[in-house]
Amino acid sequence: MIATVPSAVLHGVDGRLISVEVHVSNGLPGLTIVGLPDAAVRESRDRVRAALVSSGLPWPRRRVTVNLAPSGMKKAGAGLDLPIAIGILVASGVLDQRSVDGYAFVGELGLDGSLRGVPGIMVLADSLMAHRLVVAEENVGEARLAGGACVCAPTLTDLVARCAGRRPWVDPPVQEPTDDVDADAVDDGPMPDLTDVAGQPVARRALEVAAAGGHHLLLVGPPGGGKTLLANRLVGLLPNLGPATARQVTRIHSAAGEPTRTGQLMVRPPFRAPHHGVSAVALIGGGTATMRPGEIGLAHGGALFLDELGEFPAAVLDALRQPLEDGLVRVSRARGSITYPARVLLVAAMNPCPCGHGGPPGSCRCTPAARSRYARRLSGPLLDRFDIAVRVDLPSADDLMASSPGESSAAVADRVAAARALAAGRGVDVNADLPASSLAQWAPLDADATALLERTVRSGRLSARGLHRVHRLARTVADLDGGAPGVARCHMAEALFLRGDRSILLGEDSR
Amino acid sequence: MTMDDGAESACAAALVDLPGMTPVRLARLLDGLGPALAWSAVRAGTHPGDPGRRFAAAARACDPSVVAQRYEAAEVSLLLPGRPGYPAALVGDPGAPAVLCASGDPSVLEARPAVAVVGTRSATPYGAKVASELGKQLAGAGVVVVSGLARGIDAAAHSGALAAGPTAAPPVAVVGTGLDVPYPRENRVLWERVASAGAVLSEAALGTEPRPRVFPARNRIIAALSDVVVVVESHRNGGSLYTAEAAARRSIPVCAVPGSVHSRASDGTNELLVDGCTPVRDVDDVLAAVSLARQGKGKAPLESVRTGPVVLHDQGTALDRIQRAVWDAVEDVPTTVETVLLRTGLSLSALLVAGDELVEQGLLTSGSGWWSRA
Repeated sequence: MIATVPSAVLHGVDGRLISVEVHVSNGLPGLTIVGLPDAAVRESRDRVRAALVSSGLPWPRRRVTVNLAPSGMKKAGAGLDLPIAIGILVASGVLDQRSVDGYAFVGELGLDGSLRGVPGIMVLADSLMAHRLVVAEENVGEARLAGGACVCAPTLTDLVARCAGRRPWVDPPVQEPTDDVDADAVDDGPMPDLTDVAGQPVARRALEVAAAGGHHLLLVGPPGGGKTLLANRLVGLLPNLGPATARQVTRIHSAAGEPTRTGQLMVRPPFRAPHHGVSAVALIGGGTATMRPGEIGLAHGGALFLDELGEFPAAVLDALRQPLEDGLVRVSRARGSITYPARVLLVAAMNPCPCGHGGPPGSCRCTPAARSRYARRLSGPLLDRFDIAVRVDLPSADDLMASSPGESSAAVADRVAAARALAAGRGVDVNADLPASSLAQWAPLDADATALLERTVRSGRLSARGLHRVHRLARTVADLDGGAPGVARCHMAEALFLRGDRSILLGEDSR
Repeated sequence: MTMDDGAESACAAALVDLPGMTPVRLARLLDGLGPALAWSAVRAGTHPGDPGRRFAAAARACDPSVVAQRYEAAEVSLLLPGRPGYPAALVGDPGAPAVLCASGDPSVLEARPAVAVVGTRSATPYGAKVASELGKQLAGAGVVVVSGLARGIDAAAHSGALAAGPTAAPPVAVVGTGLDVPYPRENRVLWERVASAGAVLSEAALGTEPRPRVFPARNRIIAALSDVVVVVESHRNGGSLYTAEAAARRSIPVCAVPGSVHSRASDGTNELLVDGCTPVRDVDDVLAAVSLARQGKGKAPLESVRTGPVVLHDQGTALDRIQRAVWDAVEDVPTTVETVLLRTGLSLSALLVAGDELVEQGLLTSGSGWWSRA
């Protein structure tokens, strides 16, 4: 007897259709799984057997062969437990093949016959749209996001009864999608707010400009200056994700097995802050069978924060360069390649030099050699990706006490949203995406701004590539300043200041 | 130079040039022996100062005349204690170098008075300006400016001394590397100009690369060559405090330029002032200290070259309200844009434009993210 049950496994951020074929024949009793199963799939032999037995279902005392087609592709994960069990039941005649026609199965089995959820169900459901999908109860909410038909059952016994028509399919309760964004806040505690940041006017402004224009941001300063505090508040300034991006973001989180809000798309931009011990694979994505998306993919639509940038291995940082440029990641391995979107706002924090106090002349005791050695850990091309590089200094007590309490994130977020609306009128999400050819049209410089820019270029402090970047930055500054069609001198001056002096970071200063 | 002198000098060059030789080991080898005698003893492996015979094999493989030719080709002369040309100021000094390599004209070492102008490598614009002014005015007043050709204060002092023109007193530099290894590299041109106008000295053999140890060691020579040591800017525990200490041990007066109590680059100098060093406000304070030092040695005091107090013209009239606010908020030490922003309460754009205008007018100096009063 032979049975075929459709299912799917994860591959990067996509589902791959798998046909689970079960053959029951005469011979020595036993179960063999072929078709490049990984350890979790091989172990499903024992889980399936225990689940069937404890559910009171017969275990065929014959030879059972399970083939996972296509056979040449590696399969991983425990989601194939359920289709294998169903296949065995059909092949051994317990279930009629017609009763499972049109259904696809994804789920893990407990030894007691209960159905358990698996990661990536939204992605898997997407690839099984042609079928009615059977999943564990905990997966229903996420599976529904894909938009296809979907049913569930609490246990294997229950599922068999429903397939056989002895019990009706019960539609699981549909959770009302709430528009209340603050539902996140209930889960994760209150969002960090900018009112907590005392003083730091320059860094606050840099954060606002970065959020408004999608400009990558580098915070440089001594330990204790508040770099991490500031960076954690960046996503609070970003507007909600659009429906298409929210869908991509939820898919990526689902595929990576990250927690998502049950039954709802992720509408808040994600914030990822990997530790500097991160490997290149963990950051970019990859791995053996599943090709799990990396941190940069999980930060898609939101912010990727690299604290202590100088401590990251150089090879890991340079792996970021291509995704930052293209907005998507291509991971290629011998067995295949995956592509997924990764449009992130990169925020990084680092100390200016080994002693941490470098800055205005006379304040640092590091030798120039030590300083340039420290700076050489960052490649020039990566540094170039940061449109904004500002210092975050320890505020002096007097300045701190004199300053008024900080503006709230909500007030800044309103300005950011207004600036982003202006960018949308130019056909891009954020000004950082403006093509260089359209800068003259969308951001014409007035005479004073041109003169200032020319003076800076002539003094050798700005490269040709930096020129376009600072031009876009000036556009964002002007947008935040009311969105006049042209860029004035004060906007250009601020953009040049926010861009910062790269020579210090690159260890080229000869003090 | 007699035949004998030439041979002695060649042996001294060969000794300096032995691999692994340091000034301390060299002093031990030449202690009580002339270079020729010391050389033959080292070669023979019988030198009591070379008990492990670590130099014997290298010495046997070496021809002093070849080494001497190399030093001659590099236009480096060797100054030996007890021979003509060795600086009189070093005779009898407890830390006198056993051999000094010199490029340029070593006779300028006898020109008096000599003042060391030293300080930190990470100088503030204030320190660099003071060092450069002192260097120029001292050289103009006929005082030999001695320094170390390092970054920051040293370089500024030498540049100032050279700016005083060809008729001024010659500059003298004592460096830690070999005379053919200009360090730091950006001072290469300055180094050559000092050598051609005055002299550059080193204890190290040709080709010696910079090592951390050698710089404090050469500071004792800077101190010993000078009548007065002026520390312009120094961090707490900065390298130039070695020079001050070496001078104090030799009873050479140490002067210090006062700095802002907020400036870390002036921590060391302000501490010297607390310890009783003479404060230096301008070149006259230095010249007075030099005169006192020379009177103590029975020499005539110098004429004052006081140029009158420096008057800052009132900048208030030409500035508009915003510029005035920015000017008031910026200090003499580098002040970050952030601080100025907090003090003025201006918007970042307005502040940056006003600051830029003040820089254009020459009232402020700017760096990356900071301003200071020019």
